[in-house]
Amino acid sequence: MSIDFGIVESSILPLLKGLKVTAQVCVLGIPLGIVLGTIVAYLRASSWRVLRTSALVYVEIVRNVPFLILVYLSFFGLPKIGVAMPAFAIGVTATAFYTGGYFCEILRAAFGSLAHGQVQAARSLGLTGLQVQRHVVLPQIFGYLAPATTSLTIMMFKDSSIFSVMSLTELTYQSNLLTADTFAYVEVLGTTALIYWLCSVLLDIAGQWSERYATRYRRV
Amino acid sequence: MFASLSGQLAALGPFLHDVAEGAVTTIAASVAAFVFGIVIGSLLLLVRQHGGRTLAGVVIVYVSVIRGTPALIQMLVAYYVLPAVLNLPLSPLQAGILALALNTAAYVSEILRGALNSLGRGQIPAARALGMPPVQVWRYIVFPQLFYRSIPPLTNEFTMLLKASSLMSIIAVHDLATVARDATLQTNLPLQVFSATAVVYFAILFLASSASRGIERRVAKVLPNVH
Repeated sequence: MSIDFGIVESSILPLLKGLKVTAQVCVLGIPLGIVLGTIVAYLRASSWRVLRTSALVYVEIVRNVPFLILVYLSFFGLPKIGVAMPAFAIGVTATAFYTGGYFCEILRAAFGSLAHGQVQAARSLGLTGLQVQRHVVLPQIFGYLAPATTSLTIMMFKDSSIFSVMSLTELTYQSNLLTADTFAYVEVLGTTALIYWLCSVLLDIAGQWSERYATRYRRV
Repeated sequence: MFASLSGQLAALGPFLHDVAEGAVTTIAASVAAFVFGIVIGSLLLLVRQHGGRTLAGVVIVYVSVIRGTPALIQMLVAYYVLPAVLNLPLSPLQAGILALALNTAAYVSEILRGALNSLGRGQIPAARALGMPPVQVWRYIVFPQLFYRSIPPLTNEFTMLLKASSLMSIIAVHDLATVARDATLQTNLPLQVFSATAVVYFAILFLASSASRGIERRVAKVLPNVH
Protein backbone atom coordinates (compact mmCIF):
# COMPACT_ATOMS: atom_id res chain seq x y z
CA MET A 1 0.00 0.00 0.00
CA SER A 2 1.41 3.35 -0.98
CA ILE A 3 0.46 6.78 0.22
CA ASP A 4 -0.20 9.51 -2.33
CA PHE A 5 1.27 12.60 -0.73
CA GLY A 6 -0.15 14.77 -3.49
CA ILE A 7 -3.65 14.03 -2.17
CA VAL A 8 -2.49 14.65 1.41
CA GLU A 9 -1.15 18.02 0.36
CA SER A 10 -4.24 19.07 -1.58
CA SER A 11 -6.55 17.95 1.28
CA ILE A 12 -4.84 20.04 3.95
CA LEU A 13 -6.39 23.38 2.96
CA PRO A 14 -10.05 22.20 2.82
CA LEU A 15 -9.52 20.26 6.05
CA LEU A 16 -8.11 23.32 7.83
CA LYS A 17 -11.15 25.26 6.61
CA GLY A 18 -13.27 22.61 8.30
CA LEU A 19 -11.15 22.84 11.44
CA LYS A 20 -11.97 26.53 11.59
CA VAL A 21 -15.71 25.76 11.77
CA THR A 22 -15.06 23.01 14.33
CA ALA A 23 -13.10 25.53 16.41
CA GLN A 24 -15.84 28.16 16.12
CA VAL A 25 -18.50 25.72 17.33
CA CYS A 26 -16.33 24.66 20.27
CA VAL A 27 -15.19 28.17 21.24
CA LEU A 28 -18.83 29.30 21.40
CA GLY A 29 -20.49 26.12 22.64
CA ILE A 30 -18.16 24.90 25.39
CA PRO A 31 -18.00 28.17 27.43
CA LEU A 32 -21.79 28.52 27.04
CA GLY A 33 -22.11 24.98 28.35
CA ILE A 34 -19.88 25.80 31.32
CA VAL A 35 -22.14 28.72 32.21
CA LEU A 36 -25.22 26.52 31.74
CA GLY A 37 -23.68 23.73 33.84
CA THR A 38 -22.89 26.18 36.65
CA ILE A 39 -26.49 27.40 36.70
CA VAL A 40 -27.81 23.84 36.65
CA ALA A 41 -25.46 22.88 39.50
CA TYR A 42 -27.05 25.64 41.61
CA LEU A 43 -30.53 24.48 40.55
CA ARG A 44 -29.68 20.97 41.68
CA ALA A 45 -29.06 22.34 45.17
CA SER A 46 -32.21 24.48 45.03
CA SER A 47 -34.76 24.27 47.84
CA TRP A 48 -37.52 24.23 45.23
CA ARG A 49 -38.23 20.65 44.36
CA VAL A 50 -39.42 21.24 40.78
CA LEU A 51 -36.14 22.96 39.91
CA ARG A 52 -34.10 20.24 41.62
CA THR A 53 -35.88 17.47 39.73
CA SER A 54 -35.74 19.22 36.35
CA ALA A 55 -32.02 19.79 36.78
CA LEU A 56 -31.55 16.11 37.63
CA VAL A 57 -33.60 14.99 34.62
CA TYR A 58 -31.53 17.25 32.36
CA VAL A 59 -28.24 15.81 33.64
CA GLU A 60 -29.52 12.23 33.31
CA ILE A 61 -30.65 12.88 29.72
CA VAL A 62 -27.19 14.16 28.81
CA ARG A 63 -25.51 11.20 30.50
CA ASN A 64 -27.79 8.54 29.03
CA VAL A 65 -28.63 9.63 25.48
CA PRO A 66 -26.02 9.43 22.69
CA PHE A 67 -24.91 12.78 21.29
CA LEU A 68 -25.76 11.55 17.78
CA ILE A 69 -29.43 11.00 18.73
CA LEU A 70 -29.58 14.44 20.31
CA VAL A 71 -28.18 16.00 17.13
CA TYR A 72 -30.64 14.08 14.93
CA LEU A 73 -33.51 15.12 17.22
CA SER A 74 -32.55 18.80 17.07
CA PHE A 75 -31.71 18.91 13.39
CA PHE A 76 -34.73 17.00 12.06
CA GLY A 77 -37.17 17.61 14.91
CA LEU A 78 -36.87 21.33 15.65
CA PRO A 79 -38.11 22.52 12.21
CA LYS A 80 -41.27 20.43 12.84
CA ILE A 81 -42.15 22.59 15.84
CA GLY A 82 -41.41 25.77 13.93
CA VAL A 83 -37.87 26.34 15.16
CA ALA A 84 -35.69 26.81 12.09
CA MET A 85 -32.03 27.10 13.06
CA PRO A 86 -29.00 26.86 10.80
CA ALA A 87 -26.76 23.84 11.37
CA PHE A 88 -24.10 26.05 12.97
CA ALA A 89 -26.52 27.35 15.62
CA ILE A 90 -27.71 23.80 16.32
CA GLY A 91 -24.08 22.73 16.67
CA VAL A 92 -23.33 25.46 19.20
CA THR A 93 -26.56 24.76 21.13
CA ALA A 94 -26.05 20.98 21.19
CA THR A 95 -22.42 21.44 22.33
CA ALA A 96 -23.56 23.80 25.10
CA PHE A 97 -26.41 21.46 26.12
CA TYR A 98 -24.11 18.44 26.40
CA THR A 99 -21.21 20.30 28.02
CA GLY A 100 -23.63 21.75 30.59
CA GLY A 101 -24.82 18.35 31.79
CA TYR A 102 -21.29 17.04 32.30
CA PHE A 103 -19.91 20.27 33.75
CA CYS A 104 -22.72 20.34 36.33
CA GLU A 105 -21.56 16.95 37.62
CA ILE A 106 -17.90 18.01 37.56
CA LEU A 107 -18.74 21.09 39.60
CA ARG A 108 -20.75 19.11 42.14
CA ALA A 109 -17.90 16.63 42.52
CA ALA A 110 -15.46 19.52 42.98
CA PHE A 111 -17.52 21.04 45.80
CA GLY A 112 -17.98 17.58 47.27
CA SER A 113 -14.21 17.10 47.35
CA LEU A 114 -13.77 20.04 49.70
CA ALA A 115 -13.28 19.02 53.34
CA HIS A 116 -16.46 19.99 55.19
CA GLY A 117 -14.92 21.80 58.12
CA GLN A 118 -12.96 24.27 56.00
CA VAL A 119 -15.68 26.83 55.41
CA GLN A 120 -16.73 26.86 59.08
CA ALA A 121 -13.08 27.02 60.15
CA ALA A 122 -12.43 29.98 57.86
CA ARG A 123 -15.58 31.75 59.08
CA SER A 124 -14.63 31.21 62.73
CA LEU A 125 -11.22 32.75 61.98
CA GLY A 126 -13.12 35.93 61.06
CA LEU A 127 -13.16 35.77 57.25
CA THR A 128 -16.30 37.15 55.64
CA GLY A 129 -18.44 34.97 53.40
CA LEU A 130 -16.92 36.50 50.26
CA GLN A 131 -13.39 36.12 51.61
CA VAL A 132 -14.05 32.45 52.35
CA GLN A 133 -15.12 31.95 48.74
CA ARG A 134 -12.23 34.01 47.35
CA HIS A 135 -9.37 32.62 49.47
CA VAL A 136 -10.50 29.17 50.62
CA VAL A 137 -13.12 27.62 48.35
CA LEU A 138 -12.40 28.85 44.80
CA PRO A 139 -8.62 28.26 44.74
CA GLN A 140 -9.16 24.61 45.69
CA ILE A 141 -12.14 24.19 43.35
CA PHE A 142 -10.10 25.41 40.37
CA GLY A 143 -7.37 22.87 41.08
CA TYR A 144 -10.00 20.15 40.95
CA LEU A 145 -11.86 21.58 37.95
CA ALA A 146 -8.85 22.07 35.66
CA PRO A 147 -8.14 18.42 34.71
CA ALA A 148 -11.83 17.42 34.51
CA THR A 149 -12.70 20.43 32.37
CA THR A 150 -9.76 19.66 30.08
CA SER A 151 -11.05 16.14 29.40
CA LEU A 152 -14.57 17.48 28.92
CA THR A 153 -13.28 20.07 26.42
CA ILE A 154 -11.37 17.42 24.47
CA MET A 155 -14.43 15.14 24.54
CA MET A 156 -16.69 17.86 23.13
CA PHE A 157 -14.06 18.84 20.56
CA LYS A 158 -14.02 15.23 19.34
CA ASP A 159 -17.81 14.87 19.51
CA SER A 160 -18.19 17.90 17.22
CA SER A 161 -17.28 15.48 14.40
CA ILE A 162 -20.86 14.20 14.77
CA PHE A 163 -22.13 17.50 13.32
CA SER A 164 -21.02 16.17 9.93
CA VAL A 165 -24.34 14.24 9.84
CA MET A 166 -26.21 17.53 9.54
CA SER A 167 -23.90 18.84 6.81
CA LEU A 168 -22.23 21.42 9.01
CA THR A 169 -19.01 22.14 7.10
CA GLU A 170 -16.72 21.18 9.97
CA LEU A 171 -13.58 19.04 9.82
CA THR A 172 -15.20 15.58 9.46
CA TYR A 173 -17.69 16.85 6.87
CA GLN A 174 -14.83 18.27 4.78
CA SER A 175 -13.06 14.93 5.14
CA ASN A 176 -16.19 13.10 3.93
CA LEU A 177 -16.42 15.42 0.90
CA LEU A 178 -12.78 14.71 0.05
CA THR A 179 -13.12 10.93 0.37
CA ALA A 180 -16.28 10.97 -1.73
CA ASP A 181 -14.31 12.94 -4.32
CA THR A 182 -11.02 11.05 -4.39
CA PHE A 183 -11.74 7.66 -2.72
CA ALA A 184 -8.34 8.18 -1.09
CA TYR A 185 -9.51 6.97 2.32
CA VAL A 186 -6.06 6.30 3.73
CA GLU A 187 -4.64 9.72 2.86
CA VAL A 188 -7.69 11.83 3.71
CA LEU A 189 -8.80 10.00 6.87
CA GLY A 190 -5.16 9.79 7.98
CA THR A 191 -4.68 13.55 7.56
CA THR A 192 -8.00 14.27 9.29
CA ALA A 193 -7.12 12.01 12.22
CA LEU A 194 -3.71 13.67 12.47
CA ILE A 195 -5.30 17.13 12.67
CA TYR A 196 -7.74 16.00 15.38
CA TRP A 197 -4.93 14.30 17.28
CA LEU A 198 -2.61 17.31 17.18
CA CYS A 199 -5.41 19.58 18.43
CA SER A 200 -6.27 17.16 21.25
CA VAL A 201 -2.61 16.97 22.30
CA LEU A 202 -2.38 20.76 22.29
CA LEU A 203 -5.58 21.04 24.34
CA ASP A 204 -4.18 18.46 26.74
CA ILE A 205 -0.93 20.42 27.14
CA ALA A 206 -2.89 23.63 27.73
CA GLY A 207 -4.96 21.74 30.30
CA GLN A 208 -1.87 20.51 32.14
CA TRP A 209 -0.49 24.02 32.16
CA SER A 210 -3.74 25.41 33.59
CA GLU A 211 -3.80 22.65 36.19
CA ARG A 212 -0.27 23.53 37.29
CA TYR A 213 -1.30 27.17 37.49
CA ALA A 214 -4.49 26.39 39.41
CA THR A 215 -2.67 24.21 41.94
CA ARG A 216 0.36 26.49 42.43
CA TYR A 217 -0.74 27.14 46.03
CA ARG A 218 -0.08 23.47 46.86
CA ARG A 219 3.62 23.93 46.17
CA VAL A 220 4.10 26.94 48.44
CA MET B 1 -49.47 18.60 16.67
CA PHE B 2 -50.12 17.09 20.10
CA ALA B 3 -53.79 16.51 19.27
CA SER B 4 -52.97 13.50 17.15
CA LEU B 5 -50.06 12.31 19.27
CA SER B 6 -51.59 8.90 19.90
CA GLY B 7 -52.25 8.54 16.19
CA GLN B 8 -48.65 9.42 15.47
CA LEU B 9 -47.39 6.95 18.05
CA ALA B 10 -49.58 4.32 16.38
CA ALA B 11 -47.78 5.16 13.13
CA LEU B 12 -44.58 4.04 14.86
CA GLY B 13 -46.13 0.66 15.70
CA PRO B 14 -44.84 -1.15 12.60
CA PHE B 15 -41.29 -0.26 13.64
CA LEU B 16 -41.42 -1.96 17.04
CA HIS B 17 -39.93 -5.14 15.64
CA ASP B 18 -37.08 -3.16 13.99
CA VAL B 19 -36.50 -1.27 17.22
CA ALA B 20 -36.17 -4.53 19.14
CA GLU B 21 -33.71 -5.85 16.54
CA GLY B 22 -31.76 -2.59 16.54
CA ALA B 23 -31.59 -2.59 20.34
CA VAL B 24 -30.30 -6.17 20.34
CA THR B 25 -27.61 -5.21 17.80
CA THR B 26 -26.62 -2.15 19.86
CA ILE B 27 -26.36 -4.15 23.10
CA ALA B 28 -24.70 -7.23 21.59
CA ALA B 29 -22.11 -5.20 19.66
CA SER B 30 -21.33 -3.12 22.75
CA VAL B 31 -20.91 -6.19 24.98
CA ALA B 32 -18.69 -7.88 22.38
CA ALA B 33 -16.59 -4.74 21.93
CA PHE B 34 -16.30 -4.36 25.71
CA VAL B 35 -15.03 -7.94 26.16
CA PHE B 36 -12.48 -7.53 23.35
CA GLY B 37 -11.59 -4.09 24.70
CA ILE B 38 -10.84 -5.46 28.17
CA VAL B 39 -8.66 -8.25 26.75
CA ILE B 40 -6.77 -5.92 24.38
CA GLY B 41 -6.53 -3.22 27.05
CA SER B 42 -5.00 -5.68 29.52
CA LEU B 43 -2.50 -6.78 26.87
CA LEU B 44 -1.64 -3.14 26.17
CA LEU B 45 -0.91 -2.64 29.87
CA LEU B 46 1.30 -5.76 29.97
CA VAL B 47 3.22 -4.59 26.90
CA ARG B 48 3.65 -1.15 28.40
CA GLN B 49 4.98 -2.61 31.67
CA HIS B 50 7.12 -5.47 30.31
CA GLY B 51 7.59 -4.86 26.60
CA GLY B 52 10.74 -2.77 26.74
CA ARG B 53 11.18 0.85 25.74
CA THR B 54 10.21 0.70 22.07
CA LEU B 55 7.02 -1.32 22.52
CA ALA B 56 6.02 0.75 25.54
CA GLY B 57 6.44 3.83 23.35
CA VAL B 58 4.22 2.29 20.70
CA VAL B 59 1.50 1.65 23.29
CA ILE B 60 1.77 5.22 24.60
CA VAL B 61 1.35 6.65 21.09
CA TYR B 62 -1.54 4.25 20.36
CA VAL B 63 -3.38 5.30 23.52
CA SER B 64 -2.76 8.98 22.78
CA VAL B 65 -4.01 8.69 19.19
CA ILE B 66 -7.15 6.78 20.16
CA ARG B 67 -7.93 9.23 22.95
CA GLY B 68 -7.15 12.21 20.73
CA THR B 69 -9.29 11.38 17.70
CA PRO B 70 -13.10 11.19 17.38
CA ALA B 71 -14.73 7.76 17.60
CA LEU B 72 -16.53 8.68 14.37
CA ILE B 73 -13.21 8.97 12.50
CA GLN B 74 -12.05 5.68 14.06
CA MET B 75 -15.28 4.08 12.81
CA LEU B 76 -14.57 5.32 9.26
CA VAL B 77 -10.96 4.13 9.45
CA ALA B 78 -12.04 0.67 10.66
CA TYR B 79 -14.51 0.39 7.79
CA TYR B 80 -12.65 1.99 4.88
CA VAL B 81 -8.95 1.75 5.72
CA LEU B 82 -8.28 -1.30 7.93
CA PRO B 83 -9.71 -3.89 5.51
CA ALA B 84 -7.35 -2.58 2.81
CA VAL B 85 -4.36 -2.46 5.15
CA LEU B 86 -5.00 -5.88 6.71
CA ASN B 87 -6.21 -7.33 3.41
CA LEU B 88 -9.21 -8.66 5.32
CA PRO B 89 -12.77 -7.93 4.22
CA LEU B 90 -14.92 -6.72 7.13
CA SER B 91 -18.70 -6.47 7.28
CA PRO B 92 -20.07 -3.18 8.68
CA LEU B 93 -20.89 -4.92 11.97
CA GLN B 94 -17.42 -6.46 12.24
CA ALA B 95 -15.77 -3.13 11.46
CA GLY B 96 -18.03 -1.41 13.98
CA ILE B 97 -17.21 -3.84 16.78
CA LEU B 98 -13.50 -3.66 15.89
CA ALA B 99 -13.53 0.16 16.04
CA LEU B 100 -15.36 0.19 19.37
CA ALA B 101 -13.06 -2.52 20.80
CA LEU B 102 -9.87 -0.73 19.72
CA ASN B 103 -11.26 2.50 21.17
CA THR B 104 -12.29 0.95 24.49
CA ALA B 105 -8.97 -0.92 24.78
CA ALA B 106 -7.04 2.35 24.98
CA TYR B 107 -9.28 3.69 27.75
CA VAL B 108 -9.27 0.34 29.60
CA SER B 109 -5.48 0.21 29.59
CA GLU B 110 -5.36 3.72 31.11
CA ILE B 111 -7.97 2.78 33.76
CA LEU B 112 -5.99 -0.34 34.69
CA ARG B 113 -2.74 1.62 34.73
CA GLY B 114 -4.32 4.07 37.16
CA ALA B 115 -5.35 1.15 39.39
CA LEU B 116 -1.85 -0.34 39.09
CA ASN B 117 -0.33 2.90 40.38
CA SER B 118 -2.61 2.73 43.41
CA LEU B 119 -1.51 -0.83 44.23
CA GLY B 120 0.82 -1.33 47.21
CA ARG B 121 4.33 -0.92 45.79
CA GLY B 122 5.75 -3.91 47.64
CA GLN B 123 3.28 -6.49 46.39
CA ILE B 124 4.95 -7.38 43.11
CA PRO B 125 8.50 -7.68 44.51
CA ALA B 126 7.09 -9.68 47.44
CA ALA B 127 5.35 -12.12 45.13
CA ARG B 128 8.50 -12.41 43.00
CA ALA B 129 10.57 -13.02 46.13
CA LEU B 130 8.22 -15.88 47.03
CA GLY B 131 9.26 -17.48 43.76
CA MET B 132 6.26 -16.69 41.58
CA PRO B 133 7.09 -16.20 37.89
CA PRO B 134 5.81 -12.89 36.40
CA VAL B 135 2.92 -14.64 34.64
CA GLN B 136 1.61 -15.94 37.96
CA VAL B 137 2.16 -12.58 39.65
CA TRP B 138 -0.11 -10.92 37.10
CA ARG B 139 -2.60 -13.80 37.02
CA TYR B 140 -3.04 -14.23 40.77
CA ILE B 141 -1.89 -10.99 42.40
CA VAL B 142 -2.07 -7.99 40.11
CA PHE B 143 -4.97 -8.44 37.65
CA PRO B 144 -7.59 -9.57 40.21
CA GLN B 145 -6.93 -6.47 42.29
CA LEU B 146 -6.79 -4.16 39.26
CA PHE B 147 -10.20 -5.33 38.05
CA TYR B 148 -11.83 -5.11 41.48
CA ARG B 149 -10.49 -1.62 41.98
CA SER B 150 -11.53 -0.58 38.46
CA ILE B 151 -15.16 -1.67 38.56
CA PRO B 152 -16.62 1.88 38.77
CA PRO B 153 -14.49 3.41 35.98
CA LEU B 154 -14.86 0.27 33.84
CA THR B 155 -18.65 0.31 34.07
CA ASN B 156 -18.56 4.03 33.28
CA GLU B 157 -16.47 3.15 30.25
CA PHE B 158 -19.13 0.62 29.24
CA THR B 159 -21.84 3.29 29.27
CA MET B 160 -19.61 5.57 27.16
CA LEU B 161 -19.13 2.61 24.80
CA LEU B 162 -22.91 2.06 24.55
CA LYS B 163 -23.33 5.71 23.61
CA ALA B 164 -20.49 5.58 21.07
CA SER B 165 -22.03 2.44 19.53
CA SER B 166 -24.65 4.72 17.94
CA LEU B 167 -21.84 5.84 15.61
CA MET B 168 -21.99 2.40 13.99
CA SER B 169 -24.99 3.80 12.11
CA ILE B 170 -22.52 5.93 10.11
CA ILE B 171 -21.10 2.78 8.48
CA ALA B 172 -24.58 1.25 7.93
CA VAL B 173 -24.69 -1.20 10.83
CA HIS B 174 -28.35 -1.93 11.53
CA ASP B 175 -28.31 -0.66 15.11
CA LEU B 176 -30.83 1.42 17.04
CA ALA B 177 -29.71 4.74 15.51
CA THR B 178 -30.02 3.34 11.97
CA VAL B 179 -33.51 2.01 12.72
CA ALA B 180 -34.45 5.49 13.95
CA ARG B 181 -33.09 7.17 10.83
CA ASP B 182 -34.93 4.72 8.53
CA ALA B 183 -38.17 5.15 10.49
CA THR B 184 -37.84 8.93 10.17
CA LEU B 185 -37.45 8.69 6.41
CA GLN B 186 -40.57 6.52 6.14
CA THR B 187 -42.87 8.34 8.57
CA ASN B 188 -41.57 11.92 8.37
CA LEU B 189 -42.07 12.14 12.15
CA PRO B 190 -38.51 12.97 13.29
CA LEU B 191 -39.56 14.48 16.62
CA GLN B 192 -41.51 11.42 17.72
CA VAL B 193 -39.08 8.86 16.30
CA PHE B 194 -35.92 10.37 17.77
CA SER B 195 -37.59 11.12 21.11
CA ALA B 196 -38.70 7.49 21.30
CA THR B 197 -35.16 6.40 20.34
CA ALA B 198 -33.70 8.62 23.04
CA VAL B 199 -36.03 6.93 25.56
CA VAL B 200 -34.89 3.46 24.45
CA TYR B 201 -31.20 4.45 24.74
CA PHE B 202 -31.95 6.04 28.10
CA ALA B 203 -33.56 2.83 29.35
CA ILE B 204 -30.65 0.66 28.16
CA LEU B 205 -28.00 2.96 29.63
CA PHE B 206 -29.92 3.46 32.85
CA LEU B 207 -30.22 -0.32 33.30
CA ALA B 208 -26.50 -0.72 32.57
CA SER B 209 -25.46 1.86 35.15
CA SER B 210 -27.91 0.49 37.74
CA ALA B 211 -26.53 -3.00 37.18
CA SER B 212 -23.01 -1.68 37.62
CA ARG B 213 -23.93 -0.08 40.95
CA GLY B 214 -25.31 -3.48 41.99
CA ILE B 215 -22.04 -5.15 41.01
CA GLU B 216 -20.06 -2.56 42.96
CA ARG B 217 -22.13 -3.24 46.09
CA ARG B 218 -21.73 -7.02 45.66
CA VAL B 219 -17.99 -6.77 45.27
CA ALA B 220 -17.73 -4.38 48.21
CA LYS B 221 -19.60 -6.93 50.34
CA VAL B 222 -17.58 -9.96 49.25
CA LEU B 223 -14.23 -8.20 49.34
CA PRO B 224 -14.48 -5.53 52.04
CA ASN B 225 -10.73 -4.90 51.98
CA VAL B 226 -10.34 -4.23 48.30
CA HIS B 227 -11.58 -0.66 48.13
